[in-house]
Amino acid sequence: MGDEEDRRRFVQLALPHAGAAYNLARWLTQNEQDAQDVAQDAMVRALRYMGKFHGDNARPWLLQIVRHACFSWLKENRPAERTFLADDDDSLQEMPAPVGDEPQAIALRKAERREINQAIAALPVAYREVLVLRELEDLSYTDIARIVEIPVGTVMSRLSRARGLMRAALMPGTRPLLRTVPRAVNGGNAP
Amino acid sequence: MKHDIDSRRIDAFIDGELDLASQLEIEGRMRVDAELRERIEGTRQLQATVREQADYHEMPAALRERLDALAAPKAAQAAGPPRAAALVERWFGWRQAAAWLALVGIGALTMHLATVQTSRSDRLLDEVVASHVRSTIGQHLVDVASSDHHTVKPWLSSKLDFSPPVNELHLPDCEFLGGRVDYLDGRPVAALVYRKGRHIVNAFVWPGTAKDSQADFSTERGFQTARWSQGAMTHWVVSDVNREEFDAIVRAIQSAESAK
Repeated sequence: MGDEEDRRRFVQLALPHAGAAYNLARWLTQNEQDAQDVAQDAMVRALRYMGKFHGDNARPWLLQIVRHACFSWLKENRPAERTFLADDDDSLQEMPAPVGDEPQAIALRKAERREINQAIAALPVAYREVLVLRELEDLSYTDIARIVEIPVGTVMSRLSRARGLMRAALMPGTRPLLRTVPRAVNGGNAP
Repeated sequence: MKHDIDSRRIDAFIDGELDLASQLEIEGRMRVDAELRERIEGTRQLQATVREQADYHEMPAALRERLDALAAPKAAQAAGPPRAAALVERWFGWRQAAAWLALVGIGALTMHLATVQTSRSDRLLDEVVASHVRSTIGQHLVDVASSDHHTVKPWLSSKLDFSPPVNELHLPDCEFLGGRVDYLDGRPVAALVYRKGRHIVNAFVWPGTAKDSQADFSTERGFQTARWSQGAMTHWVVSDVNREEFDAIVRAIQSAESAK
């Protein structure tokens, strides 16, 4: 009996955010077929946990489930990708401001869609997820902190670093930076 | 080169995630610091580029169908399609997929429009609150200090390209302090200033096109705000009074307006 009620709430609260679920899964798994499987798996879990959700905004809640599903998938299939970062490392914080005779604005405007997508795809997954949640899902730092299960201060650092890497990747003549992957630190999610 | 403002704060600033005091501090420094302005502008530009250009991956129709099946009531799932109807089923499946694609397209467009709309009114909400705070912490609360609306209205009309409604509110312990010209939503607006008890109330008004609407209340960083359209004017009221008093003020402004 609770089943039908869960299903009704699922259709009403979670299903409208299925597009966001797929987009996140697609950016984290980096391929269409796996993203479909992972997103579906996450939606099945969301339906199962529906009774435990009592808020009024299901989007961060659903995306948290999707993120969990993605990271389980990454652990199985792309163990090398699951790098965790030392967020307190000062060397990661400050990106030199672009100083050059070429105005940044022009350089950025010229960057093509493909380059932008490639630059995001090349980000280490911990930076990529906060950037996607902020810029493509337009979520607040608080929501992102909840989804990624990190403090708001860490969201701030990671997002800032992600934008720094994007800026570096999109500046002409800095292509090698795309390949820069911060050293992996084993262990859990919490910094 | 080490900047005195951490890049994290610049990022939080453009995301509107700083507390009000820090937000105002950076706004203030931007006016005098060209390098800071450039850094902020660069970060905004990067954000705009990513938002405009990065792929938002649309859900494939196949997944949409699987999710629909998941959402369908149990009974329908158990029954399954009868063999004879398989062809028809498939044909309808295609039609459904096409319909979904169209829907997804429309949905994406609506969402995009909604986002543009929301971010515009969010920005305005920020502007209104920031303007209110500036008026209360600075020296510049009113340009024309008078409790007489027959003095304030002509003064404002002479400075603006419209004649704002100026009303005295008949509320206990409420005083009309005067008016000033402010700048919101990219245009000069009238600000009418009231004192309710010890609290300052800013009532902003400027010409709008929207039809009359109910007041839309929200709380932003501890300030009460309300917005509505009335008499072809956009109204925004903001104050730090409590919610009950704030409601009474908004009602008083609305009824003074409609009594005319």
